[in-house]
Amino acid sequence: MTDVLLKLEQVSYRYPDGTNALSGCSLVIRQGKRTVVLGANGAGKTTMFLHLNGILRPSAGQVFYGGVPLDYSRSGIRELRSRIGLVFQNPDSQLFSASVREDVSFGPMNLGLEKRIVGERVAAALHAVRMTECADKPVHNLSYGQKKRVCIAGVLAMQPGLIVLDEPMSGLDAAMQRELLAVLERLHADGMTVVIATHDLDFAYEWADDAIVLQKGKLLAQGTAAVLLQQTEVQAELGASPVIADIAASLALTGMAVRDKGYLPRSRRELLAAISAFHRQESDR
Amino acid sequence: MLTEQSAYSNRWRRVTPFAKGWFSLCGMVAAFAAASPRSALLVALILCAVTILGAGVPPLRYLRVAAPAFLFLLASGLSLALSLDFGGTAGGASLHLATAELPRLAQICCRSLACLTALLFLTLTTPLADIISLMRRCRVPDTLLDLMTLCYRTLFVLSETVHDTITAQSARLGYAGLRLSLRSLGGLVANLTVHVWQRSQALHLAALARNNDGALSFLETVYPHSPRTISIAAVAGCLMIALSVKLP
Repeated sequence: MTDVLLKLEQVSYRYPDGTNALSGCSLVIRQGKRTVVLGANGAGKTTMFLHLNGILRPSAGQVFYGGVPLDYSRSGIRELRSRIGLVFQNPDSQLFSASVREDVSFGPMNLGLEKRIVGERVAAALHAVRMTECADKPVHNLSYGQKKRVCIAGVLAMQPGLIVLDEPMSGLDAAMQRELLAVLERLHADGMTVVIATHDLDFAYEWADDAIVLQKGKLLAQGTAAVLLQQTEVQAELGASPVIADIAASLALTGMAVRDKGYLPRSRRELLAAISAFHRQESDR
Repeated sequence: MLTEQSAYSNRWRRVTPFAKGWFSLCGMVAAFAAASPRSALLVALILCAVTILGAGVPPLRYLRVAAPAFLFLLASGLSLALSLDFGGTAGGASLHLATAELPRLAQICCRSLACLTALLFLTLTTPLADIISLMRRCRVPDTLLDLMTLCYRTLFVLSETVHDTITAQSARLGYAGLRLSLRSLGGLVANLTVHVWQRSQALHLAALARNNDGALSFLETVYPHSPRTISIAAVAGCLMIALSVKLP
C-alpha cells in the first residue's frame, strides 16, 4: 500500500514492572484516513499510541513513518513529534499553564518558532476548536469538554499531519461529543489523518474509514471499519456490536432494500432514510 | 479562591502586569521610606483605595482576602507590645505594656500594613500567570518559574481530587467519628500521594509529546497601550514614595 503513513512491525513492549503491553503487534495507519483503534481495557491501545511519536521505544520490532524506520536521535524525535500530535485521555494531565493561550503556545514554543508565528498558530488552533473567546480564561474555569478542546488546540498549534486521540469522547455529554466530532471532521476535511481510540462501537461504525482491533497487545484484525465491525470474531472480542449494523442486517433479512447505496446504513440518519425510502416505494406500488 | 476570582474579574485585568508590578513595588518602597507611622498608614490607605476604587475589587472581597493577614499582623503587634511576667512580687503572672517601645512598634506595624496592601494590590489585580510572565521578564531563574507554573496548575487539580475523595469518604460515613475521621484523613493523604506521583508521570509524558526537552516556555501575552500605562504607574508610584517621605 503506497498510502501507508505509519507502520508497526512485530512491535513488543514490556513495562519496567514486567507487564507485556505489546507483544508482536503489527499494523498500519493510512494517510488521510479516519482510523479507530478498538480493544478491551489493557489491550495495549495507549502503549501503541506512545510508540507512534517515539515516547516509548519498542523492546523488539520496528516502527516506520513514511516507510522509513523511526529515528530516535534528538533531532529525529523532534521532527517526528512535530508531525504526530498526541492527545491524552485526561485533559488535566496534559494542561500545564493556567492560561488557555499560554498552554496552546507550549508546543510551538518548544519547536523554537518565532513568537509572531507562534501567536498566529495559537490563534488558528484556538479558532479551529472554536475556543477563541476562552483564550484569556484560566484553564481551571473551563468545562471538561472545553479542556479537551484546549488539549486538541495545543496539539494542532504544532501543525501535525496526524493527530492521535486517546478516548476523546469519554466523559463528554452528547452535545459536547457532537461539537468535538465536528472539530475532528473539519480537521479531516483539511487533509489531516485522524486516529482515535474508543470503546464506542456505534461511533466507530459510523465515523471511521479503517479500524484496528487489538487483543492482549496483539493485532486481532485490521481493515475497513464497516466490514470489520460486522465480523463475529471482532464482535466477540469487543463484547458488543454496532446497533445500526444489527438493525440494518435484520431489516435486510426481511427483504427490505436497505443496501441501496451498495452498503448497509452506517448511521441512524442513513438507516431512517433507507426505511422511509422503502415505505415510499411500498405505498407507490 | 477569592484572590483568583478577583485577579480575573477586576477592571485592570488587561492592564500590563509590568505597570501593576511597578506600582506595587513603589508601594513597598514608600512603606519603607515612610518617615512616620502616619505616612505609612497613608500609603496603606492609598494602595487600598486604588485597589478598591481603581481596579474595582469589591470591598467585602478585599476584606475577606486581607482578614487572615490583618489578624496575623494584629497578633504579632500585640505579642510585641505586651509581655507576660511570671516573677512578680505577688507571685502571680502580670501583663506588661512595653510603653517605651510603642512608637517603634507603631512604625513596624504601619509599614507591614502598607507592604501588605501593596502585595494585595498586585495579587488581587493580576492573575498568577501574568505575575509569572512578569517575573520571567525580570530574569527570575526558569526552574523557579517552572515550579511555580506547575504548582499553581496542580493546586486546582489536586484540590478537586481532595474534594472528590472527601465526598466519597463522607458518603460511606468516613468522617462519622473521631477515630473514623483520622483513618479517612490518613487514607486521603495516602491516596493523594499516589495521585501526585501519577500526575507527575502523566505531565511528563504530555510534555514529551509536545516536544519539550527542558524549560517550560509559553508565549507571553501582549497588553494594549503598555508604554502609556507603564508611564502612568511609574509617575503615580514615584508620587506615592515622595508623599511618604515628605509627610511628617
